[in-house]
Amino acid sequence: MSRRLAIVLLFAPAAAAADDTAAPGQDSATTATAETGNPSAPADMNDQAISATLGVAFGGRTTPGGLAVAGHYFYQLSDHDWFDGSAQFVFGSGGAECFRDRMNDTICDHGLADGYAGGVGAGVRRFLPALASGDFWPFARAGLAAAVVRFPDDETTGITLDAQLGAGMRVAVSEAIAITAQFDFVLGLGRFSNGVGGEPQLGVMVTAGAEFRL
Amino acid sequence: MRLAILATLALGLAACQSSDVSRELGARCDNSNDCDVRCLSGADWPGGFCTIACETDVDCQADASCLEEEGGVCAFTCVSDAGCQFLGQGYTCKERDARGGAGKRMVCRGG
Repeated sequence: MSRRLAIVLLFAPAAAAADDTAAPGQDSATTATAETGNPSAPADMNDQAISATLGVAFGGRTTPGGLAVAGHYFYQLSDHDWFDGSAQFVFGSGGAECFRDRMNDTICDHGLADGYAGGVGAGVRRFLPALASGDFWPFARAGLAAAVVRFPDDETTGITLDAQLGAGMRVAVSEAIAITAQFDFVLGLGRFSNGVGGEPQLGVMVTAGAEFRL
Repeated sequence: MRLAILATLALGLAACQSSDVSRELGARCDNSNDCDVRCLSGADWPGGFCTIACETDVDCQADASCLEEEGGVCAFTCVSDAGCQFLGQGYTCKERDARGGAGKRMVCRGG
């Protein structure tokens, strides 16, 4: 119970704009459908769900890119909003791309799909009922993510803190399973070793996955 | 809100900054591990100078020429000393033999 309360308090500002409020754990989306015929979220969306996603991340310079793999845990905060906790990994490639410029500053010029990253994220997914059509439910997502980033050939490691803003579509394919497609902008800051220092993070992620209600 | 937009723009611009030099040509170096191919050092190349091997100018990037030195290496072309300032102290614009008897080239180097 205390864990639920903590999650609600943490994301209260995002959830406050929801028109209707429901106690966490209630299947309010289904309730809304039954009572008003105007659902706030997909009827099959339970108060808890998990998902696995696969896609591509595009980075550059010191922002990692490559194959993006993530696992998500969703927990209902209000009629529209679900807490979205995630573990995210990026597997890229690329050789050494860091060098010292003539001012003796270290610069990294990695490509779109270089580097490795692993981290965790927390955010809110909000369904957009006004744009929903049948089983197709668009959503917006905002969150923060912290990650450890590694460019092995440059022997450079960093810690990043990113804001992730995105949107996607969720489509139910059965009572318990839905598929999702999502696009996220990533914007943040990182601190790197090997003389690279502070660096901005700027990238995009395109992912798709399967979601399972709990 | 305005501050957030400005911060976003600043981050975006910072992320798009580029350098005049690269691991391939012009970066500072102590040894070849600092470069894509090789590091030239000594008084002729103050601070170290990353370069690549070449046989003709075509092997070098557009703003560089292939010199008859060190078995053929690329160096930035120039028309005056001012064009070499971006490489830092010790670099001036000098005339050197092009690789393969292809005449003379004006390039940035020390020495």
